[in-house]
Amino acid sequence: MPEGVIVGGWSYVIAAYSITAIGLVAYTWSLWYRQRTAARRSQNDER
Amino acid sequence: MNSKAVTAVGALGLAMLLVGSTIGLFVAPAERHMGDVQRIMYVHVPSAWAALLCFTAAFGLAIASLWSAKPRYDALMVGTIETGVVFNALLLAQGMIWGHAAWGVWWDWDVRLTTSLVMLLLFAGVLGLRSFVDDTERRAAWSGAATIIAFVDVPLVYFCVRWWRSLHQIQSSPETVDRAMTLPLRINAIALLLMAIWWTVFRARLAMARRQEETVSQPARIRVAERYEHA
Repeated sequence: MPEGVIVGGWSYVIAAYSITAIGLVAYTWSLWYRQRTAARRSQNDER
Repeated sequence: MNSKAVTAVGALGLAMLLVGSTIGLFVAPAERHMGDVQRIMYVHVPSAWAALLCFTAAFGLAIASLWSAKPRYDALMVGTIETGVVFNALLLAQGMIWGHAAWGVWWDWDVRLTTSLVMLLLFAGVLGLRSFVDDTERRAAWSGAATIIAFVDVPLVYFCVRWWRSLHQIQSSPETVDRAMTLPLRINAIALLLMAIWWTVFRARLAMARRQEETVSQPARIRVAERYEHA
């Protein structure tokens, strides 16, 4: 078994959680944006 | 599934993710050797499970779509693939950060890392293929077949650490992990599963709307082309 502990890991943890949060928010926003665009397009087509 | 139920599923997933991550970051103890860096596992492992589950569902939906030619299976398939690609990308990003802390390198052509990257490229390729095909029937058939081919990599990703020597550790079992650590892991796994359902249904509705738009507009386009030919 390897000995010792990885120290100073919080910067990595913050980076990983930040990337995850950005990814989740960005994809949710992209879905919402695409839905809004599709709804506008169908409204224009109806006119 | 109505819109309110889908939004409720997503909101519950988001709330659970906040709770699970808070426990993982501030309540769960630091791991003996990896220290605080191990806390990345509370989002890394659930992301991996969510990606593998999405791609497995996509495989089943691809078979159902090819078998029945029903548009809803094709729409759900594209929903699961796109959701899986997002989780796969997050999985690789989190893994690279963890790898730099634990191994000292951002990337290594290790079998687990390589098969995971190949999985991302294959399923992103399926989405790319869809954007090149205009005909709705052909798009469903081709992307269904491509999904089945891409799925070959999914069991490889899961089992490669058992079959071949890998830098990446093999799957842990709940018996070997402290309860204080399995709790945030399980909460976040359920949270990402709920978010995957939310996104898949949302994306499938967009795909259905696009298909409907195309099937309405295709005859109109043909009529315009015929008019030009006769003119």
